[in-house]
Amino acid sequence: MKVLVSVKRVVDYNVRIQVKGDGSGVNLDGVKMSMNPFDEIAMEEAVRLKEAGTAEEVIAVTIGGDKAEEQLRSALAFGADRAIHVKVNEEVSPLTAARILKAVFEKEQPGLFLMGKQAIDDDNNQTGQMTSALLGIPQATFAGELKIDGNKATVVREVDAGLETIEVDLPAVVTADLRLNEPRYLKLPDIMKAKRKPVETVSMADLGVEAAPGLTVTKTSPPPARAAGIKVKTVDELVAALKDKGLV
Amino acid sequence: MDFTFDAQQNQFRDAVRSFLVVEAAPERLREYWETPTGRSAEMRKKITDQGITSLSVPEAYGGLGMGDVDWVQILEQVGYHGIPDSLAEAAYLGVAILNALPDEHEAIKKKWLERMVAGQARLAIGHPINPLVHDAEIADLILLWHNDELHATTPDKVKTTQRDSIDASRRLYEVEWTPSDETRVLTADQAAPIWAEAVDRAALAAAAQLVGLAQCMLDLSIDYAAQRKQFGKPVGSFQAIKHHLANVAVQIEFAAPVVYRAADAVANNHPRRAALVSHAKLATGRAARLSARNGIQSHGAMGYTWEADLQMYMKRAWALDAYWGDSVFHKARVAEFIFADDAPLGPGETFTA
Repeated sequence: MKVLVSVKRVVDYNVRIQVKGDGSGVNLDGVKMSMNPFDEIAMEEAVRLKEAGTAEEVIAVTIGGDKAEEQLRSALAFGADRAIHVKVNEEVSPLTAARILKAVFEKEQPGLFLMGKQAIDDDNNQTGQMTSALLGIPQATFAGELKIDGNKATVVREVDAGLETIEVDLPAVVTADLRLNEPRYLKLPDIMKAKRKPVETVSMADLGVEAAPGLTVTKTSPPPARAAGIKVKTVDELVAALKDKGLV
Repeated sequence: MDFTFDAQQNQFRDAVRSFLVVEAAPERLREYWETPTGRSAEMRKKITDQGITSLSVPEAYGGLGMGDVDWVQILEQVGYHGIPDSLAEAAYLGVAILNALPDEHEAIKKKWLERMVAGQARLAIGHPINPLVHDAEIADLILLWHNDELHATTPDKVKTTQRDSIDASRRLYEVEWTPSDETRVLTADQAAPIWAEAVDRAALAAAAQLVGLAQCMLDLSIDYAAQRKQFGKPVGSFQAIKHHLANVAVQIEFAAPVVYRAADAVANNHPRRAALVSHAKLATGRAARLSARNGIQSHGAMGYTWEADLQMYMKRAWALDAYWGDSVFHKARVAEFIFADDAPLGPGETFTA
C-alpha cells in the first residue's frame, strides 16, 4: 500500500506572530518556518506504517513556493521515500489545496491519504474534509489512533463528546490529531540521506487544476489583549459579576 | 565570504535543537549532576542515535564526513542546552585529532573512529593549556600532550584525582602519568601541528558553546522579566532592565559572526587561523559574561541561587570562558597578530578567504 502524506510550510509554533502594521497580513520577514506540527504527526504515522510492513511506500506532497522544498526535505528525512512539490507562489485557499491534492491522489492512487487535522497558520481545518469529498472517498478526521486491517482502517477520533471509534474503507483520508503519536527527532544521517531522495516538481497546470475562486483576506489584526481577571469572595458576587457581563 | 549557512546545516541545527529541548531540559540536567559520574549512558546513546558523534567521522568509517562549519551551529545548541557531556571534546576535537593521524596509524584510527560512530568511545584530551582533564576517569581513551608528542592511554594506566569545578556538571581530573614508548603515538615533529590545530579547534568549540550559553541566559532573563511584576507592570518594561538585556543582545549579535568566521578559518586552515579563533573566544567570552552578569541583575540577584536555572548556565559559561585558553592567552595571540610589522589589517583584509 502507498501512503500519501501532505505537509505544509507554516510559521514555527514557537514564533510569536506579528501582524503587519497595515493589517495586510502576518509579518514573515526573517521568521522561522517549519513543517506544520499536525503534518509531522501524519508523517510519523505513515513512516510507522511502513516500518510495520503495512505500507510499502510513503510519498510526501506539499503546495507552495520554492522554499517549501525545505519542508519536503524534512519529510524525506522523517522517512518518506519520495516527494512531490506542487509549486504555487500565490496564497492557496483550502478548496484550491483540496483540488490540487485530489489531482495528486488520482495520479498516485495511494491506499491511504494522511494529513494533519489543520495547519497552525490559518487553522481552517477544511482541507482534509474537502479533499475526501472531492474524491468521494471516506474520511476519518481528528485521528487519535489508527489501525489498518486489509482494506479497512479503524480510527479512534477525538471529538467533543470524547472518543469515537469508526471503521472506514480504504482508500480514505485520515487527518491526524495531537495524540496520534509523538513524532521522532530527525537524525543527522537521515537529513543527509534525504538530500538524495527524489523530489518531483509539478505546477497546478501540469495537474490540470484551476484555483478556486473564493477567499479574500480583507484585514488581519492581532487578538485583543487579555484583560486582567477579578477575584470574588462569594458565590453571590460571582453571579452578580457574570450577570454584569451578560454571561448568565 | 558567505556568512550564511546552507539549508542542510540549518536543518542539522534545528534537528539538534528539537532533540535537546526535550532531552536536556534543566530538571533532567540536575538529575545527572547528582550521579557520581555526572553522565548518563542513556543520554549518550540518544546523542549517538541522533548521529552527532559521527558528524565529522569520515564516511569510510561510517560517519557523515562533515566539517567545522557544520559543527559550529550544533555546538551553539550544545552550549544553549548546557548538556553535561564532554561531547565537544570527544566527537568534535577527539575525532579531528584521530582524523589527522598519518596512515601508519590506520589501526588506531579505524578502531576509535568506528567506536565513536557506534557510541562506544568517550575520548578525553589532556593538554597543558588546561591544568585538568575533562572526563578522564570515565574515558575509554585519553589523548595526552607531552612536549608536543601525542600519547594515548586509558584511565586504568594513569592516576586520576577528581577536582571540583564551579560548574557541578563538569567532571575534572588531575591526571598523573608517565610518558613511554608504549603510550607515544606521534613524535613531536609529527604531533606539533596537530596539537596547534587542536587548540584552535577546542577554543572554537568553547566559543560556539559560549554563544549558545549567552543566548540561553538572555532568553531566561527575558522570560523572567516578562513575568515578574513590580508597580503592576512586568519588570522588563522598565528601562533599567530593558537596556541591560538589550546590551547583551547586541554583544551576542556581534560575537556570533566572529565565531562563524573562525569556523571557516579552522576548516580552511587560514593563515590567520589562530588570531581569528582567539578573537572569537574573546568576543564570545565577553558576551557570555555580560549575559550572566545582567541575567543575575534582571533576576533581582536570585539568578545566582541553586533553585534558579540561570546559575547552571552561568557557571558553565564561567568555566568555558577560561577553558582552552583564558583571556590573557587569547589576547596575547590577537596582539601578536595585530602588532606584527606586516599585519594584514583593514577592511580589505578582514574577510579574505
